[in-house]
Amino acid sequence: MSLNDTFTSETELHGVSDPIIEIRDAEVVFEMDRGVSRVLDNVNLTVERGEILGIVGESGSGKSMLASAILDAVVDPGILSGSITYYPENGDPIDVLSLSDEELRKLRWESISMVFQGAMTSFNPTMSIRGHFEETLDAHDFDIEEGMERGHQILSDLYLESERVMDSYPHELSGGMRQRALIALSVLLEPDVLVMDEPTAALDLLMQRSILALLESLKEKYDLTMVFITHDLPLVAELSDRLAVMYAFELIEQGPTNEILQNAGHPYTRSLLNATPNLDAPLSEMRPIEGSAPDPVNVPKGCSYHPRCSVANNRCVEADPEYQQITEEHVAACFHCDDAVEAIPLTHDQAVVQEDEP
Amino acid sequence: MNWHLKRAGQALFTLWAVVTLSFVMVRMLPWSAEDIVVAELIQQNPNLAQNRDMLRRQVQDMLMIDPDASITEAYVQYMMSVMQGDLGTTYGVRSGEEVSAIIAGALPWTIWVMSLATFGMFALALALGAIMAYREQSAFDYSNSAVAIVAASIPYYVAAVVFIKYIGFSDFLFLEMIPARNRLPDGVAVGLTFEFVSGAFRHALLPALSFIVTGYGLTALAMRGNSIQTLGEDYVRVARLRGLPDRRIALRYVGRNAVLPLYTWLIISIGTMFGGAVILEQLFNYHGVGYWMLEAIEANDMPLMMGTFIVLTAAMVVAIWFGDLTYGKLDPRIKSGDEGEAY
Repeated sequence: MSLNDTFTSETELHGVSDPIIEIRDAEVVFEMDRGVSRVLDNVNLTVERGEILGIVGESGSGKSMLASAILDAVVDPGILSGSITYYPENGDPIDVLSLSDEELRKLRWESISMVFQGAMTSFNPTMSIRGHFEETLDAHDFDIEEGMERGHQILSDLYLESERVMDSYPHELSGGMRQRALIALSVLLEPDVLVMDEPTAALDLLMQRSILALLESLKEKYDLTMVFITHDLPLVAELSDRLAVMYAFELIEQGPTNEILQNAGHPYTRSLLNATPNLDAPLSEMRPIEGSAPDPVNVPKGCSYHPRCSVANNRCVEADPEYQQITEEHVAACFHCDDAVEAIPLTHDQAVVQEDEP
Repeated sequence: MNWHLKRAGQALFTLWAVVTLSFVMVRMLPWSAEDIVVAELIQQNPNLAQNRDMLRRQVQDMLMIDPDASITEAYVQYMMSVMQGDLGTTYGVRSGEEVSAIIAGALPWTIWVMSLATFGMFALALALGAIMAYREQSAFDYSNSAVAIVAASIPYYVAAVVFIKYIGFSDFLFLEMIPARNRLPDGVAVGLTFEFVSGAFRHALLPALSFIVTGYGLTALAMRGNSIQTLGEDYVRVARLRGLPDRRIALRYVGRNAVLPLYTWLIISIGTMFGGAVILEQLFNYHGVGYWMLEAIEANDMPLMMGTFIVLTAAMVVAIWFGDLTYGKLDPRIKSGDEGEAY
């Protein structure tokens, strides 16, 4: 394996053979008074049908922007460019960014659905949960009776008393119930892909765990592909098949979850793993990453991580590294993957990772 | 305790307090109503000066109070009659007429003008505010904000005078259809006829317009602010992504949630308008409750004064009570009292 190998085909790049979503050169810019803010920078990502893909990154690294981009739902006045292709199970690939408003309206929620950050405020406070379900079915011309039956079923699958929840107003439900109701609403139209942006933020640990378990069973039952976006590395490591790590609005490393946990190639990923709080690890072994994430208007030249990187040299300042192949399915955007492995030993207990194995 | 019972009790207590207050205030006036009534009665019928018993009975008839009674006895007598719907007899404005009859003839007209003004104002303000919010920072938004602020700083009685001069007495095109005085055109009888309905509407137009034009501005700006805030809510964004039609989002999501804080404002503005009716009805010679109140004050007519005062306050107490009862229907988070249930 040479670090200077460049990729030639899809399979080589992402280890994906049956893609459901393909993002190429996605870029989101906001024109601001103090300059152009590039909050998504040249992102390439392929989601495989049926997998759970975890996207991790610290806050302000562009995770939510990536989620919005998948649905072409970047808020004004942001400008999204690049290409996003959705491959339906049967039928031709769909170029998401060139869809008309009406086609986009249909695609969202029917094919690609989303659970937002801030589920607490995702329901209209003056409408019952039933109202939300019914209007969604109605807006997409689904059969209401049949759809409501499915809604009840999904709520029960999520261990909710469906009748009571349907009759409730959002403020009458607890945080965990509201979150589950929102998840139920997002899969109501039987989408193929579910994009989740911090779906467990603001929930207590116990509720986070139980929602993860529910998501896994939901995925099996309804044959979903999931994109799970979070800043909580241990949480997503437990759930996902593959991981993609974001830093400064770029995806700097992608690969199977276990490989990344045990053999991360990018210095940032390695430092991030070392900075992750863990009950088993003593506090003295936790290593914070010095410095702070860059400002989107003024991202460092070359590799955006070089000012904080312990293995960076002149080359990192001058050129932005392309993806380097680490294994067949594992890539990292760094010139010094081998050095990083030596320079930044992982402190986390291998046993903890092993436990997560199925 | 049942919340509705409690709330009704509160409303009744307020009413009682108002009647008591009116009783006390009138008694604190520098002139005595008894003296005026006695003088007037004797002037009408000099024989009464000798017949003190007869005089006393007639005074009690008009004022509901035995002039020789102590203040506590007088208070009890007064409260008893008010509770029976007897507000006494006027002696200044329309001598000898029952106050309750005068008010019964006037109150529907005041309510009619006030309803027209309130609903007109809110319909205009809510629609305008919502459109301004949707087109935030457009020329439409800026120009309407400016106009709204200017309009809101004009006192309603100044607007009324301007309307009377330039619309009420103008013959220009259809403007002659809009009169500046009275409740109805001459010779039109009350009844479900076209003449009556259109006449009542045309005559109420200018008084209502004076309130609408000077009152809509602040409400529209408040609605604009609320709507802009609601437009930024997560649930509006999620609703868009769920593919709901724009119309539904505008009405059911943005409009509904932006209007909630304004509902209380609406109820309170009813009170302000009843207060304003006193001046406005005078300007338009519109014989409503406010008109009679001012007439009564000018004529030192105590029963009519107290009667109109009580009725105007009662109308407001009832309006706020109604608002409280219905707020829970509008915003499910505010269940009326103890109906609220959270899991």
